[in-house]
Amino acid sequence: MGALGPLLLADGRLPVGAYTYSAGLEPAVAAGLTRERIPALLRARLRTTAVTEAAAAVLALRAAGRDPVDYGPVQHALQARTPAAPLRAASTTLGRGVHRLARRLAPDHPAVRGLATAHPRPLRPVALGALGAALGTGEEELAYAVVYDELQTVTSAALKLLPGDPLDSVAWILAAEPDAADAVATALAVTTPDTLPARTAPLTEQWALDHERSERRLFLA
Amino acid sequence: MPENQNPNQHFHEPLNQPRALRIGVAGPVGTGKSSILATLCRTLAGELSMAVVTNDIYTDEDARFLRSAGVLPTERIRAVETGACPHTAIRDDVSANLDAVEDLEEAYGPLDLVLVESGGDNLTATFSPALADAQIFCIDVAGGGDVARKGGPGITGADLLVVNKTDLAPHVEVDVAGMVTDAEAVRGGLPVLALSKHDPSSVAALADWVRSVLARHRAGSHVPTDPGPMAPHSHPHP
Repeated sequence: MGALGPLLLADGRLPVGAYTYSAGLEPAVAAGLTRERIPALLRARLRTTAVTEAAAAVLALRAAGRDPVDYGPVQHALQARTPAAPLRAASTTLGRGVHRLARRLAPDHPAVRGLATAHPRPLRPVALGALGAALGTGEEELAYAVVYDELQTVTSAALKLLPGDPLDSVAWILAAEPDAADAVATALAVTTPDTLPARTAPLTEQWALDHERSERRLFLA
Repeated sequence: MPENQNPNQHFHEPLNQPRALRIGVAGPVGTGKSSILATLCRTLAGELSMAVVTNDIYTDEDARFLRSAGVLPTERIRAVETGACPHTAIRDDVSANLDAVEDLEEAYGPLDLVLVESGGDNLTATFSPALADAQIFCIDVAGGGDVARKGGPGITGADLLVVNKTDLAPHVEVDVAGMVTDAEAVRGGLPVLALSKHDPSSVAALADWVRSVLARHRAGSHVPTDPGPMAPHSHPHP
């Protein structure tokens, strides 16, 4: 499980409902984002929400290694740094899928049992930290999985929302490597929930709020 | 059957009480899936505690149709986002639908029956037993008399095949009896129902089928079967 675990975490085919999420792309497209601007959106996500989420996942992974396991502080810190209710709801929904998988794989693992302490339900990065612990994932691998998944989520959703050559998506992801590495390094340097970076952006929040009122949407958020 | 003998126990949340029967309704676009749901709600809501989950290309078209039909309290009808992958949402990754079903059971349970309508997809889209205990596959006479003969996992393997809109048959020059015979020939004894919402006896037969599955589910004798993503087929040569 040591080598496969991190790969599973980063695999979009993992049956945890992630395909219902566009990582902000659909709301951005509704606000006028064009295909040419997708790489810019990726960079923006890597400098904002991806840092917060990767750091929260790493904090959750560390919490999973303590006795007793208590995700409360990181869960609360992440909630406070996710001010738009639709984004908290989306993260909760996605976390639920991860939690379901974790219960299926390792129901008795302390890291998985500890998710019951995250109220009302664990946000996705918290659930990923727990699943990562159950799979024997390292901190850097987990942070990269979160960041990589963010990139893949946007570019996969782009095939539905702003269709073009799927090979472009791969090139965009590789081009984002420097920003991805920065996001991972920043996430790993966070030591406590109190110092979790609040890296959201006003437009991300506004678009998410607008999206919730949209009647013709494909994705959660 | 005791819970620990259920071959699908891993698919479901641990529950202390018998959960609701989950019936999926799949079939190509425009064949009348939403209409079947409305008919079932209208017919059974008086005797069963029910809820509905819809899957659509855009989130809530079908849910709005059902809410406006007034056949069930609106809060018992939930729509899920499928990321433009309605096929995935009922087979490869049923997370979003399971969430909705579990939420409905938590909010309004104990429920007897949850109906899950797939987004209109093609002939190969069927429900995984991870989501549906039993499934109805719906085709219609207007799709052409040869659809049943063409087969596909839903047509050959769904627990019930509905040939819908039989009232339209004279207008589209389709022989309903022939279509049913064709379907029966590829289904190995599984039931086929010629349905029209304007034909009360066919509606009664549909409701009776649901009641019979529910009785087996409650008795623990119903084992969900998977029609599979593709039908077994061969290419015989003369």
